[in-house]
Amino acid sequence: MTILHFLIITIVLSALVLIFRSRKLNALISILYIFAHICLTVFAYRNTNSIDSVYFKFDHISILLNGLISILLIPTYYHSKLYLKRYINNPKKESYYIASMITLFTVISAAYFSEYIVILWVCIEITSLLVAFLIFHDRYQTALEASWKYLFISSVGIAIAFMGILFLAAQIAQQEGASLSFTYLMSVANNMDPFFLKTAFVFMLTGYSIKLNIFPLFAATIDAKTVAPAPVNAIISTILINAGFIAIYRIYSILSMSDSIAWAQNVFLITGLISLLIATVQLFKVKRFKRMFAFSSMEHMALILLAFSVGKAGYYAAILHLVFHTLIKSGLFYQFGQIRALYNSGWFKNTGSYIKLNPTGAMVFIFGLLSITAIPPSGLFISEFLIFKALFAEGYFITAISALLLLTIIIYIFFKNSFQLLYGKVPENFNQQKAIINKYEAISQFVLFALVIYLGFNPPVFFTTLIQSAITILN
Amino acid sequence: MIFVLIILYAITLIYFVLSERVAKFIVLLSIQGFLLFFIALNNLIHIQLFGLVLILLETIGVKAIAIPWFLTKIRKTNKLNRVHESAVPVFYSIIIITLLLVSSFLVSNIFHCRTIQIKFLSVALASVFGGIYFIIIHKNIFSHLVGYLIIENGIFLLSLAVGNEMPFMVSLAVLLDVLIGILVIGIFLNKVGDTFSDISVNSLSKLKD
Repeated sequence: MTILHFLIITIVLSALVLIFRSRKLNALISILYIFAHICLTVFAYRNTNSIDSVYFKFDHISILLNGLISILLIPTYYHSKLYLKRYINNPKKESYYIASMITLFTVISAAYFSEYIVILWVCIEITSLLVAFLIFHDRYQTALEASWKYLFISSVGIAIAFMGILFLAAQIAQQEGASLSFTYLMSVANNMDPFFLKTAFVFMLTGYSIKLNIFPLFAATIDAKTVAPAPVNAIISTILINAGFIAIYRIYSILSMSDSIAWAQNVFLITGLISLLIATVQLFKVKRFKRMFAFSSMEHMALILLAFSVGKAGYYAAILHLVFHTLIKSGLFYQFGQIRALYNSGWFKNTGSYIKLNPTGAMVFIFGLLSITAIPPSGLFISEFLIFKALFAEGYFITAISALLLLTIIIYIFFKNSFQLLYGKVPENFNQQKAIINKYEAISQFVLFALVIYLGFNPPVFFTTLIQSAITILN
Repeated sequence: MIFVLIILYAITLIYFVLSERVAKFIVLLSIQGFLLFFIALNNLIHIQLFGLVLILLETIGVKAIAIPWFLTKIRKTNKLNRVHESAVPVFYSIIIITLLLVSSFLVSNIFHCRTIQIKFLSVALASVFGGIYFIIIHKNIFSHLVGYLIIENGIFLLSLAVGNEMPFMVSLAVLLDVLIGILVIGIFLNKVGDTFSDISVNSLSKLKD
């Protein structure tokens, strides 16, 4: 299945959802979509490194990240169904939600596979609209505030990123056979003016920082995640972040072909450290689980930037970290859906005694807590170990020690807030009868966390090959 | 001729910080749309018919007519006349925007790149940073939308600065950006106006912990 076919399928399926607004049809369409997406991933894997539908390319990093979407589609569909049943119960709104989700998945996949810098930019722009809609679809006041901020700051960020594209375009304007494809830009990177190349990099890093959830444009993303429904959060905190990552990875891959690579690594180092520091400081103030998880994403992205700042020694660890973060964070957000359903609140103060009220969910939460804080047997322990090993090996002692100190504080805050949920007093306004938890809800999280352990300690050959091949293009 | 148009465009930037009336912002945006059309027309000498139609659509169709019409509608729906919430006095704003223009001119002249046209670059940079400054000094979210459009116009100028013929993809992307930005942000702005008591950023602070 080519991307063009997949885009057509998405348009048709979304249109059907919006036209008929039937729950049964929505279920059937969602299943068909999941199947189509898996077919796309398999097709891409079997046609690695080939150009598809003119503007797309199935390279290793995009196949890996698209595979993650395929994995998350099934649990996201299942938890979305639960969310819609619990809080929405309106066929019209449900259809809008399903159609937006389907389109969002497709646009993110298209962003991963984009071979042209402008196509990637367009895809990322469209994700802003869809995310704003998914946050606002329930139409309450704080959702509107978050949607507005997200959309506005995203638009400004995307405009700044576009300036970066223009600076790159200026460098190839008078060359014969010039195109804005990444392959071409990489091939001519060494002939570009370093000043403009660096300027383009800074503009793009700034613009796409809203998607990657890092300094400087992280604030609107955090607000968006504070109000987004749990299944939507599971997507925007993982695969959408990966879309931001791929945008920055692509521009970095262009710079890595030039003499400006060391400079770009320094920018990553500074941005990573600032992001990590901000995440730590902000975590002291948070009073809601979603915000805590959102700042945790910022922390992990900061670590990925630090890994990239080391150069070759850190690339493998960075991508491994990205994959594990995707699987764990989505699992935590699915679990948060249960917490929200049980207590009818997402604030720390309104939760407590989770271990008594929902033992299975509490087990998942503890498991998720250990996983996200990179405590063994979490796969994140392996990737963080590799990141710090690279930092020490390359002589970044101060950076590594500062990052370790900040991570220790983050772990303390995470455990302190989680203990309130697990062992705190049952909240006064808690209503046991209203709290209905489906006993199968926890399965997806167990599977995802177990997958992280498996991939961390016994990674299959195709998985390591995909990562190794993805980083071979970087200098 | 081209320099006259560019200077006129730079003057509109100064007028933006001088004005307090919302209707004037809309008129200024419309003027910028027309100026951009003439600048593009003057610059893209070997342009083909399709490219000309696209630029006509983008500048006069969208920037000079459609967006001002849509903004007027939003202004009337939200009963907006004056914007009082500027955090910086007008006098200082004029000095700052003038300094921005001068520094953009100086910075542009430092660049030594034969593929970038300095005359466009200087005013494009001033427009982008002027738009950001405009957003920062206003608390009203309608003014933020205007600031966003000033940035977009600056980016359009920047796309002219990078070559005599804009790649088709870049041109389409600029159009898409403006359309999406305005239509969707405008719709959300209306929703904010309906939901909150006023459209000031002070009303939008419920998400903080």
